[in-house]
Amino acid sequence: MAIKIRYGDYLGLARTHHRVISYNAITSWDASHRRRPHLRSRDIYRLLAPYVGARALEQARAVLPVVLFLVVFQYLLFQGRIAGGAAILSGILAVMLGLMLFMEGLKHGFMPLSENIGHLLPVRATFSGVLTVAFILGAIATFAEPAISALKMAGSLADPGQAPILYQMLNGQTDAVVLTVAASVGLAVLVSAVRFIEGWPFKPVVIIVTLSCLALTAYMTADPALAPIVGLAWDTGAITTGPVTVPMVVALGVGVSAAVGRGGNPLSGFGIVTLASLFPPIGVMLLGIHTAALGEPLPVAAAIGTALATEAGITDHILAALRAIVPLVLILWLIQRFWLREPTRHPDFMAYGVGLAIVGMVAFYVGLGTGLTPLGIQSGNMLSTVLDNGGALYPAGVGLAVALLFALALGFGATLAEPALNALGLTVQTLTDGAFQKSTLIYAVAIGVGLGTALGVLKIIFHIPLAWLLIPAYLLALVMTWLAREEHVNLAWDSAGVTTGPVTVPLVLAMGLGLGQASGARDGFGILAMASVGPIVSVLAVGLWLQTRDRLMRIDLFGHSQ
Amino acid sequence: MKRTYLAEEFIVLTDVVLITCVVQRGMAEEVVQVARQAGAQGATIFYASGTGVRERRLGLLSLAVSPEKEVILIVASTDQADRIFEKMYQAGKLDTPGMGMIYMSPLDKMATHVPKGIVERFAH
Repeated sequence: MAIKIRYGDYLGLARTHHRVISYNAITSWDASHRRRPHLRSRDIYRLLAPYVGARALEQARAVLPVVLFLVVFQYLLFQGRIAGGAAILSGILAVMLGLMLFMEGLKHGFMPLSENIGHLLPVRATFSGVLTVAFILGAIATFAEPAISALKMAGSLADPGQAPILYQMLNGQTDAVVLTVAASVGLAVLVSAVRFIEGWPFKPVVIIVTLSCLALTAYMTADPALAPIVGLAWDTGAITTGPVTVPMVVALGVGVSAAVGRGGNPLSGFGIVTLASLFPPIGVMLLGIHTAALGEPLPVAAAIGTALATEAGITDHILAALRAIVPLVLILWLIQRFWLREPTRHPDFMAYGVGLAIVGMVAFYVGLGTGLTPLGIQSGNMLSTVLDNGGALYPAGVGLAVALLFALALGFGATLAEPALNALGLTVQTLTDGAFQKSTLIYAVAIGVGLGTALGVLKIIFHIPLAWLLIPAYLLALVMTWLAREEHVNLAWDSAGVTTGPVTVPLVLAMGLGLGQASGARDGFGILAMASVGPIVSVLAVGLWLQTRDRLMRIDLFGHSQ
Repeated sequence: MKRTYLAEEFIVLTDVVLITCVVQRGMAEEVVQVARQAGAQGATIFYASGTGVRERRLGLLSLAVSPEKEVILIVASTDQADRIFEKMYQAGKLDTPGMGMIYMSPLDKMATHVPKGIVERFAH
């Protein structure tokens, strides 16, 4: 008779050898023998590989499409070669590495602090205390914004003959400009905090602020000495709303609105970003008027000195990174420790985060100088050779079409690759119960940015004063704002701030400056400003269309409109 | 008359165990695939968050361990369970601290769709 073996026992034979230990034995022993587990090198690899890999992939996905687009476009349509390709490539790798480290450092070094402050401050501090911290937080976050250094790079390209005040502001007074921008952002956060506490609706605030901004722009444009500053001023608005300011300021806003009982709506933190991108133009324009009023010309020797300083060495980058990050962390920590009396939960994680952020920022600065800026300037220069009458490549009309198509595609593509927009789209889809689809928002914003970029390029090519494009665009946006629903208004204005990330800003800024330089424009600013107003209009348009469609569907259902 | 579609009798399976495996977010797909190769019929995955005793002692390396986890539930026959358990342990790289854990618990019974042919063959 056959021998019977249970199938499970047969399978058991194939098993790896294992030993059995009682967990009881371990727990009684463990209490007196606490120590760090011994890690084999393969354990460290297994732990670190997914951690690093996921973050590297995220940055690659944000940076590479834009860069590839620029390179392919230059190669195919402009038939140009990239000068210093190896240096640019290493620069772009440095930018990706820098952003990866910086974002991770931000997550561990800053975000716990600013989230704590956002939650605890409104509960534990007085009204004036909240406002003070709101102002300080907004201002110092601006200093730590990676893209703000692009402004300094822009200074070396201004022409002292054609735009003396702009030149002076960018070379002798860069610190004053940055300070003004920082103070403006601080003020914007302060006003938003008051708005949350007092419960003001967003619409009237944004309409008043935008109208005063436009009035100032009109005044500046009328004065030929002041006109070149308009572009710079509006571009700073796009620069400030980056990966440091937005989350920090939104955390504060959500905390404040939760504390005054208007929380629960994730959109409640919105609106701050809009004000933070509208106040800096006002500030910088006022600074321009002030500089013009003082009217002291910059000594040429000093100007050359600062121009040389833009080709900074590694020590300068390290100093700049320290200056950007250390005060921010220090102030956040002091507020939390001594004002809110809240202990730091993971001091080692925080130190790690701050260290990463500093290293990341240094790498980003290095990459900005050797990679993104040269690539952007080359693209701008090449764009203008396509347009030149003597250009053998294309006839004049076709050249213009190619240039505009290039700008359109650049704005569109860079926006699609922006990770912040994806997150915003998801939030919006959840909030509107799917009425505003994620892809609808992303494409609306991308088309807006694309059209805006193209208009900006047009402005530089034909030397159109920025105000002529900007004022009608914003007036259109204001009319639509008046008609649209409050939630669509919040969304439209904030999506403009979200789209201009730390890679797009320096690239587009450098491209504009390169184009301006080659085509003899007074200044190469304004593309970012146009790229910011574009999505406001396009998202509002989609919002209005959704509203109208709702109304039409109701007419269909009931046969009459009421 | 209102008809109820409840079957008059239903099949209860015995000799089953539950394997529960907690892994890092994003690892579940791979672990489940291995489990299926080892004979598991299906798996339920849900998202969870948690921290372990071990990763708190990893120092800075614990930053690489996300508190976000995936929990895999697999009901297996007692015969296959040990093999599936072992394969999942290897695929989840659970011998590295912070990667997760796996456990197996006895079940009294389970019920699901059982094909008719199988019922006729085994039910008594």
